[in-house]
Amino acid sequence: MPVDHRRLCGPEESHAPALWAAVCGAAVAAEDGEEEGGDESPRDPWALRPLFARAAVLSQADGSAYVELSGGTKVLCAAWGPREAPEPPTAAAAAAALRMGRLQCDFRRAPFASRGARRRPGSTAERDAERDLAAALRTALEPTLQLERYPRTRLLVSVLLLQDEGSVLAAAISAGALALADSGVQMYDLAVGCALCRGPDPSAAWVLQPGEAEERRAAVRLTVALLPALNQVSAVQGAGSGSTPEDWAEALCFGLDACYRLYPVLRQSLLQATCRRRRRRRGRATAASTA
Amino acid sequence: MEPSERFCVPGERLCSAEEATAGSGTYTRHGFIFSSLAGCVEKTSEESGLPVVSVVRDSDPQLLPDVGVVVTCKVCSINSRFAKVHILYIGSTPLKSIFRGTIRKEDIRATEKDKVEVYKSFRPGDIVLAKVISLGDSQSNYLLTTAENELGVVAARSDAGMQMVPISWCEMQCPRTHTKEFRKVARVQPEFLQT
Repeated sequence: MPVDHRRLCGPEESHAPALWAAVCGAAVAAEDGEEEGGDESPRDPWALRPLFARAAVLSQADGSAYVELSGGTKVLCAAWGPREAPEPPTAAAAAAALRMGRLQCDFRRAPFASRGARRRPGSTAERDAERDLAAALRTALEPTLQLERYPRTRLLVSVLLLQDEGSVLAAAISAGALALADSGVQMYDLAVGCALCRGPDPSAAWVLQPGEAEERRAAVRLTVALLPALNQVSAVQGAGSGSTPEDWAEALCFGLDACYRLYPVLRQSLLQATCRRRRRRRGRATAASTA
Repeated sequence: MEPSERFCVPGERLCSAEEATAGSGTYTRHGFIFSSLAGCVEKTSEESGLPVVSVVRDSDPQLLPDVGVVVTCKVCSINSRFAKVHILYIGSTPLKSIFRGTIRKEDIRATEKDKVEVYKSFRPGDIVLAKVISLGDSQSNYLLTTAENELGVVAARSDAGMQMVPISWCEMQCPRTHTKEFRKVARVQPEFLQT
């Protein structure tokens, strides 16, 4: 591996201690099995886990949002309003840029985000995975924006994954929509994301908002993004094998219903941020008039 | 929070298109008016016809330079054909990010266009009032014009670093060294004159 001169020089190669733990003990494996079994049995497939969302958490960004799933996934998102776009490379891109703005998504995973082996930041595999997630995020968020109101500009969305415990893309979509709405960009609707997965058992049911362990053991995974007020799907991403088209259709309906149920939480957090900003501005105006 | 205030989020349906007219911060779809911003709903009644429903935000609006507005710019570089500027203000509202513009040689003055010299109209670092005439084509920036008496240089510094005083429509003078420099000077607005 070539040496990265822009970072501190560490060991050339390192592995996580979990590998040796897996090698050593059958007792540890049995304990893990018990834990997984216990965690899986009482789970209601239709139940949604609690979700914490808060908008306007960063002061430097035009808009920002923080979304935390009960499984432990933590996503921080910052958005900036219309900025000047650099010159497009081709004539066709230039003609398109004249008519409407462009959305630029950036997805970053913190080195401490995953349990187990710590990924090397900036490595090729990590960058490719982040680019795929950024492309999926852009696909989900672009239909929500009124880009024709901002010609020759670009909107920036930067997502930072602080902790990965499953359902990462769904949390990023919800956080990105909240941050864009908080930044004051004109939108058609908010985007709500939800993830599902199914175990390798043929009779297994689809599970909403899977945790990281469930996602790792799953045979099929699906993420949907919905615009609830317009009742339109903005993105669908799935992977896996061994499912029939009826199973996929059932999963899609399942996920869309979950998005409808998640929407009031995001709406309430955005309304709270708007009220908070208005109250703060009124307090500042009152202080200014008093002085 | 006042009970009369109503907050909304993007995508929220406000009312039917027959009850009100869509104002700023809203869009119309399938006969209904939806909000496109997270903010406060305002309904203003007009004398004739329907009230106007709009959504306003307390924070700075997302302003973009548009055709016909007067902007405040800072000159960055000049050559014999045009001057490149950074747009800093739209009217009296500062922009969050800098947009680049171009003042072409033929757009500097309304009269005697063939005798205009860019070096005698602008210098890098000057603050200029200009009007947007075009969003520009695919390879250029916003096109600005100063071909009016009220447009042109409003603040400039001399070689000695002092702020120069405008003495005519094409000259400015340094108050310390009394050297005169050529600029396309903007006519001073009456509200800024001290009496």
